[in-house]
Amino acid sequence: MTRRFPTTLLAACATFLAGAAQADDPIKIGVPVGLSGANSIVAPSVVQSSELAVAQINEAGGLLGRPVELVVADDGSGAAGAQRAFDSLIFSDQVDALISMETSAARNAGLPILSRANVPYIYTAFYEGGSCHPNMFVNGWVPDQQVPPVVDHFQAEYGAETFFLIGSDYSFGRGMLEFTREYIEARGGEVVGEEYLPMDGTNWAPIISNLRSSEADAVITSTAGGAPNVTLTRQLRDSGVDIPYANLAVDEGTAGDMGDVATGIYISASYITGIESDANADFLAAMEAHFGDDLSTPNELSVPQYEGILAYAAAVEATGSTETADIIEALGEVSVDGPRGTIKMDHQRHAPLTMYLGRVAEGGGVELVAKFDAVSPGEQCPNL
Amino acid sequence: MSNILLDMITTSAILFLTSAGLLVVFGVMKIINFAHAAFITVGGYATFVAHQLGLPPILGPVFAFAVGALLGALAEFVIVRRLYARPLDAILATWGLGLILGQLVVLAFGRGVQFVPPPVQGTVAVIGTEYSLYRMLLILLAIAVAVGFTALLNGTRLGLSTRAVIMNEELAQGLGINSTRVRLITFAIGCGLAALAGSLLTPLTSVDPLMGLPYLIGAFMLVMVSSGSLPALAVACVVLGGLQAIISTYFGSVLGGLTIAVFAAIALRLRPEGFARA
Repeated sequence: MTRRFPTTLLAACATFLAGAAQADDPIKIGVPVGLSGANSIVAPSVVQSSELAVAQINEAGGLLGRPVELVVADDGSGAAGAQRAFDSLIFSDQVDALISMETSAARNAGLPILSRANVPYIYTAFYEGGSCHPNMFVNGWVPDQQVPPVVDHFQAEYGAETFFLIGSDYSFGRGMLEFTREYIEARGGEVVGEEYLPMDGTNWAPIISNLRSSEADAVITSTAGGAPNVTLTRQLRDSGVDIPYANLAVDEGTAGDMGDVATGIYISASYITGIESDANADFLAAMEAHFGDDLSTPNELSVPQYEGILAYAAAVEATGSTETADIIEALGEVSVDGPRGTIKMDHQRHAPLTMYLGRVAEGGGVELVAKFDAVSPGEQCPNL
Repeated sequence: MSNILLDMITTSAILFLTSAGLLVVFGVMKIINFAHAAFITVGGYATFVAHQLGLPPILGPVFAFAVGALLGALAEFVIVRRLYARPLDAILATWGLGLILGQLVVLAFGRGVQFVPPPVQGTVAVIGTEYSLYRMLLILLAIAVAVGFTALLNGTRLGLSTRAVIMNEELAQGLGINSTRVRLITFAIGCGLAALAGSLLTPLTSVDPLMGLPYLIGAFMLVMVSSGSLPALAVACVVLGGLQAIISTYFGSVLGGLTIAVFAAIALRLRPEGFARA
């Protein structure tokens, strides 16, 4: 009895301490993002807006009295890297939720791991639509929201009847252009060409030759972000192509960096830095203050990330728990007031959004051409 | 029609530029330099640095060649020299070198895409159509590289020593030719040519840490099908590059990307010397 007493006392103390440690355990948010690969240009901005969101939450006292911690992992912008990133975040770092933007290839590779692990996932990138998973919510746009403004404008403003579609050969490129084709044909237009290049391909010459010989009135492209946008645009301009050109997959920042070749490109987005609202002004000021000279301009891929983390925070506070089942139920009901306005992911796991049609101006920057309120995401996940 | 023809010729020119360096190393040293892709990337970044330093655009490729050659010489001296008797290990070692170079580039410049303004822009009217001026320029540059290298090989003392080493290294050594020096210079030139290709590609592509990778497999297959002969490489580039352009135009670029690998394999199956003279 006397010899066993210290051991039992020690065991009791250990359990008590472990229990006490639980209350201060941070809530971990995992961010698998393309630090390398095709998304490497936008990844810094995504990480920054994540850091700001977490900093603001912690300054306000954390969630349920617990601090929030960010864990970032590189998904290499592709399927293999995503599997590694998801595995390490979920099983090694034991995150409570995943919130990130990724390429469609990466997202599709990570979803089966979500099933095994039962962790909620907020996907914050725009994408080709139709991706459904019991644990996933989406606050980025889908083609039903992004494409109509572009096609309608080309038909109305330029009288365009024939369209040529160019994309990268993966689910986003093909999905976007499949929707675009359906929409164009539904509106009485004609698609005179649809060509794809592998994601790491850099030689667009044969496709551009086909574009020129088709004599299309307008060209709409949907390539992987980053390098393919730059190479395609350069080579298009280098071949003297100057018909109306809408790029469904370029963000404001990259378009600005591209210089003269980007002038005149149409983009359709749910976020541009020029949005005139208090929420956007506050957000931009906070980013400026937090990051100073190192700031990567907030953009279409980083702002939904910020709002996604706020949505998760709202869900945690609303349900008082981090249990996946509770979070999943709450995410469809909480709304967030962010730089893009009031966002609620209540349309079959997707969110109605305000869309902006812009055009890259001389010297960089995007000028607003038209604005569309509360555009519906359509029927993305009828079975959820 | 003229568009496709020009696509074929310019594709061949690009393929030749990006594989010449690999061929030079293979032809003399019988080693495949898998760091070739990394040297293409180094060339792209060297051009970016040259642009940042305010050098005139024409010095970009020169600067890139110099950087590539110096790094290549260093790599040969430190790594490759010890592996002449072990060509398979040399493949592994050069692949590792390529990975290290890639990571050094990321450490120095970050993972993002860098922009180098093109030295010439716009189109030129040629055989009845408007075509990219820069791509036309690449045809001339590819010919210049071929002519320059052939002149080096056939018209200089170094070239003579190199040809002797290619023919029979032991005999050459017996005649007093310093084959170690020949190998050092060859590897340096091979890497320099890779960097030069990277530099010449920057107006067409973006400068990012992985920019050289897509060209490696194509270059490797073209070198295999040329058995170490530069004229054979030129022929291979014209034939396979032309095929790739045609297939990409009529059957899509996804299939087009397979062309070189598939047809190189078929060619080797039918004729093991590939496009080289028997």
